[in-house]
Amino acid sequence: MQLARIDGSVTGTACHPSLRRGRTVICQPLDAEGRAEGAPILALDQLGAGLHQVVLISTDGSETRRQVGDEHSPLRNHVQALVDPAITP
Amino acid sequence: MRLGQVIGKVTLSHADPALRGLRLVLVQPLSRAQFAGAPLSPLAPGATQVVCDELGAECGQIIGFTEGAEAAAPFSRPTPVDAYDALVVERVTYSPPSIP
Repeated sequence: MQLARIDGSVTGTACHPSLRRGRTVICQPLDAEGRAEGAPILALDQLGAGLHQVVLISTDGSETRRQVGDEHSPLRNHVQALVDPAITP
Repeated sequence: MRLGQVIGKVTLSHADPALRGLRLVLVQPLSRAQFAGAPLSPLAPGATQVVCDELGAECGQIIGFTEGAEAAAPFSRPTPVDAYDALVVERVTYSPPSIP
């Protein structure tokens, strides 16, 4: 899993059906000090993460397919948990 | 999943039978500045990807594509594809905090 910050969202005119089961959010991976590290990644959010909230995203497709409930979903990244702001890096 | 701009198409003359009938597009991944609305040309650095597209994305459109083994998941039979178009983008709302 990876620590990331929600920096935005994306809407689409057409998509794979499994993406309709949540919101497509832009996640910015963070380093140990909480600074932006690397390119943004798009993930599916079903927990209602807010803007600039720090989250844990999965980077494993099989886990994401199970959580989304669609074995044919092409998704790899999924918001697994919202990190408590008190312990945010 | 990553964002990229469709910049072309690929047609195959001889191919693995499993690839027959699949639409392949050329996609240039976006840079972080382009997320924020910077012009799409010149193209961002980075390798251009060949992505399997079943949503009919046209040249110039921005798509969200996934890579790796997950890209072969949507197919009912084994298909040698490792990049798949999962989303034709309508709007990107990108507002990182002022402190990076």
